[in-house]
Amino acid sequence: MSALLQISDLHVSYGQIEALKGVSLEVAKGEVVAILGSNGAGKTTLMRALSGLLKAGAGSIIYRGEELVGQRADLIVRKGIAQSPEGRRVFGTLTVEENLGLGAYTRPPSEVSGSRAEVYKMFPRLEERRLQMAGTLSGGEQQMLAIGRALMAKPTLLLLDEPSLGLAPLIVKGIFTALREIANTGVTVLLVEQNARMALKLADRGYVLEVGRMVHEDSAANLLASPEVQEAYLGKTDAH
Amino acid sequence: MRTVFYRWIGPAIWIIGLGVPLVLGPNWISILSIFSIYAVVALSQDIVLGRAGMFDMGHAVYFGVGAYTTAILNTVYGWPILWTMVPAVVLAALVGGLLAAPIVKLRGDYLLVATIGISQIFHLVMVNNVAGMTGGPDGIFGIGVPSIFGYQIVSQSGLFLVGWLLLGVVLLLMNNLENSRLGRVFRYLKEDELAATTLGVNARYYKIVAFALGAGVAGSAGTLLASQLAVVSPGAFVFTESVTLFAIVLVGGQASIPGVLLGTVLMFVVPQVFRELAQYRYFVFGIAMIVVMVIRPQGIWPRRRRIE
Repeated sequence: MSALLQISDLHVSYGQIEALKGVSLEVAKGEVVAILGSNGAGKTTLMRALSGLLKAGAGSIIYRGEELVGQRADLIVRKGIAQSPEGRRVFGTLTVEENLGLGAYTRPPSEVSGSRAEVYKMFPRLEERRLQMAGTLSGGEQQMLAIGRALMAKPTLLLLDEPSLGLAPLIVKGIFTALREIANTGVTVLLVEQNARMALKLADRGYVLEVGRMVHEDSAANLLASPEVQEAYLGKTDAH
Repeated sequence: MRTVFYRWIGPAIWIIGLGVPLVLGPNWISILSIFSIYAVVALSQDIVLGRAGMFDMGHAVYFGVGAYTTAILNTVYGWPILWTMVPAVVLAALVGGLLAAPIVKLRGDYLLVATIGISQIFHLVMVNNVAGMTGGPDGIFGIGVPSIFGYQIVSQSGLFLVGWLLLGVVLLLMNNLENSRLGRVFRYLKEDELAATTLGVNARYYKIVAFALGAGVAGSAGTLLASQLAVVSPGAFVFTESVTLFAIVLVGGQASIPGVLLGTVLMFVVPQVFRELAQYRYFVFGIAMIVVMVIRPQGIWPRRRRIE
């Protein structure tokens, strides 16, 4: 198994505060990997370091044999890593269609409409709302748009930062069904989530991040069954 | 409506404006000359503030760089006025880009303070005649008039037409910017820089480009100001001038061409018309700023979005 992405001993600090204290992880091509963790565990920090938005203090991020630490965020996108950021961050004053077009910023204009059609096929709801301002969409629709926008870059590796954030359980289910479809098309997915149950059902493997350190690493099935993970992230009874 | 305005009404007003010297008196002609010059500067401020969303509170500096470039090249080296516009634009754009490079990563209020610093330093440098070329607090006198094909444009009407022509060119540029990829990138950065970056936009580069572009356009207006007033002094480019430009964009309407023009009219034309009240200019505009920001924060004539 050759890794598409290999993060070793990554340290990231905000001033004096060290948010990641030596994180290592591996993602193979075609895999879906979930990183679980509660608020403040460093999940978003990890995502941002990976996409070049934050500078790593030490450690390395090897993607397809190339070091990403120190590279500019916009160039990392061009290497095939797209991100659906935490809190969705769609462009509220632009239409759905324009948001998707912007997702293809790094690609030739001639390829935009084909990719957009694929996104609409995956999220028919977005096509219905294609001329609507993104700011007027519901939370779930905005999340679909954020994911669709990231897909427009035609990524090899898709980073998803809390796609379930602030959404009703039924909507979350719909989003994860779509993520399953995306993974089935061969896109490698690295996902950080607080919603451990949904994330582990989707993922092949998982990691547990706690205050800046990886404390568990296992197959998704084993993590789902592990008593420690159950207690800390799944609650005692099933919500559904 | 927006399309109609840009395609027909706007250009029609501009063409009618060409006839101003035939119908209006010298008083009006010089008021409208000044309007053209300041409208160009206000539109250039809008590139940085209204379109790219950066709080630039030192924009008069680039206007000043253009004016001083023209003044020095004309009075010391005898360059014809219109020729000096090329180095005025290039130098202003360079200064804009170079000064912006280390500070564009600053957010909102921090950038604002940094640009105020630039503005204060520029003023000090000019007043102290650091390079021995800027004439100190009195500035530079005896700047010539433009000439076209050997004819000197000495009349107010001629100077007005030169200014009106520059305004026309800048309006075309702004209209193109609005519909161009560059203009759209500015808007993405203004709305959400982080999201734009995650989609592959090189934020730092485009923010520097916005500063350089805005500064270059301001520099072109500097050339005309120098020629129009025949004198360039530090007082024309002080901090309060930058504040006025900043306010014109906010009060008129960010990223809105008619809004910025309207703001310029309010600030530079209305006080001239009511000359006896001109001393209340800042008073009236100050009240207008407060009222507009409270009841119409998007500006008097906000940008309207067209959906294709």
